[in-house]
Amino acid sequence: MTTNSVILALVIVTALGFDFTNGFHDTANAMATSIATKALRPKTAVLLSGILNLVGAFLSVQVALTVTNAVVKIQDSSGAPKASLLAHGGFALLLIVLAGLVGGIVWNLLTWLVGLPSSSSHALFGGLIGATIAGLGWAGVNWNGNGSKLDGVVGKVILPAIMSPVIAGVVAAVGTWLIYRVTIGIAQRFTDNGFRWGQIGSASLVSLAHGTNDAQKTMGVITLALIAAGEWHDTKTIPLWVKICCAVAIAAGTYFGGWRIIRTLGKGLVEIAPPQGMAAQSASAAVILASSQLGFALSTTHVATGSVIGAGVGRPAALVRWAVAGRMVAAWLITLPAAAVVGGIMWWIGHAIGGLAGAIVIFLILVVVAGSTFARSRRRPVDHSNVNQDWDEALRDAERVPAAVS
Amino acid sequence: MHNVGFALAGAWKVLLAGLVLGAGLPILFGLGIRALAWGTGGDAKLHAEGVTGPKARPIGTALGWLCFLVVVLGVVLGIAYIVATGFGKTISFAHVYPTIVAKH
Repeated sequence: MTTNSVILALVIVTALGFDFTNGFHDTANAMATSIATKALRPKTAVLLSGILNLVGAFLSVQVALTVTNAVVKIQDSSGAPKASLLAHGGFALLLIVLAGLVGGIVWNLLTWLVGLPSSSSHALFGGLIGATIAGLGWAGVNWNGNGSKLDGVVGKVILPAIMSPVIAGVVAAVGTWLIYRVTIGIAQRFTDNGFRWGQIGSASLVSLAHGTNDAQKTMGVITLALIAAGEWHDTKTIPLWVKICCAVAIAAGTYFGGWRIIRTLGKGLVEIAPPQGMAAQSASAAVILASSQLGFALSTTHVATGSVIGAGVGRPAALVRWAVAGRMVAAWLITLPAAAVVGGIMWWIGHAIGGLAGAIVIFLILVVVAGSTFARSRRRPVDHSNVNQDWDEALRDAERVPAAVS
Repeated sequence: MHNVGFALAGAWKVLLAGLVLGAGLPILFGLGIRALAWGTGGDAKLHAEGVTGPKARPIGTALGWLCFLVVVLGVVLGIAYIVATGFGKTISFAHVYPTIVAKH
């Protein structure tokens, strides 16, 4: 075992760890509303979503090797790593990728702890941007593309993040409002049973789309690392074992279920009813699919949140907790810079210590942060048994017993 | 600020497709439920206490299932799109009815 194969192994393990957090962070996007309206039992929902993510990940045979090109300049347009980063077995590139992944995971874990649905793609991109700035300077980041197409941090990350929740919100609001109009005068018991099936169908579609979109990113990152280390040479395909590992990691993460985030999105934002749930999920599915058809990159998290708020706005006299929505928007704004700061610091630590020891130290920092976040989450656990607890009642509990985090 | 232009050009298309598929299909589903309730009659529709509900109308049931069929076709199209994209293909509407073609 050479030094670099150990670092490569660390990158792969960390990337799979990111994929796992990506899965559990995003379970809520597909399943929060179905769980909140009791269309599906919590355990059934995460199982269904996990399976569909697994299937979706295998369907994504499209090569996602150029995934980092949208934001940083560590690869050329064919997907091969920049030659300047390949000295000493690709050490420079591996360190950037490792530090970036650690940045993404740390931010995903912290937002999970406080139950905020932040974007996993923003966390990944943020981490990579931070590590790249630290390693290559400001010029290493693809800020604005070259003007020929939607590209760069502005075009691929910031603009879609502003627009996609608004679009999804409008679609969901229109859908909700009209659904309530067309079902006036029908017994609620009758409509709820019908919309239950609509919810399950639309939520399944979101899960499948999520698996195809998000698992690809990690597959691309791992393959990039393999190429940099000289273990893989084909920029047109992805090794089968990488695909299997990523698919399993994202599906396992989804099944693990980010219950804290499911709770916020399903119960905290809007008191959601079955027709709203169906409108929100359909809006999410349609916007995600339409965007990928039109090459408009976006985050499923932003879309799902926009849809839920839209479904709340569209129902006459519905309650939308704007304070919760405000916290989410604040989390979106700081996700990318915060993950970038962590990614940058990790690169700097790794670089300062240098070599294999540096890579091992930042990996150990990740393990410690992950362990303490998990330990902290056990103080006020949220799982399938209390995910649907009344939101305001839980808030009163939180006031009586000082919360672990606030 | 070329990116803003590209993004806006994409955004209105996404909004349009989103409204047609993401709001249109659920509304059709809602209409299906309404037709089904009309077809079922009785307690499916709200009615005054103490009297029996409106009587059943089979045509309503048929209309309801027709609506559901269209919705299901829409969802199948969505899944076909996801699968096709995974295999480097896309769905073309050039011939009005959808066909799977290679992605350019």
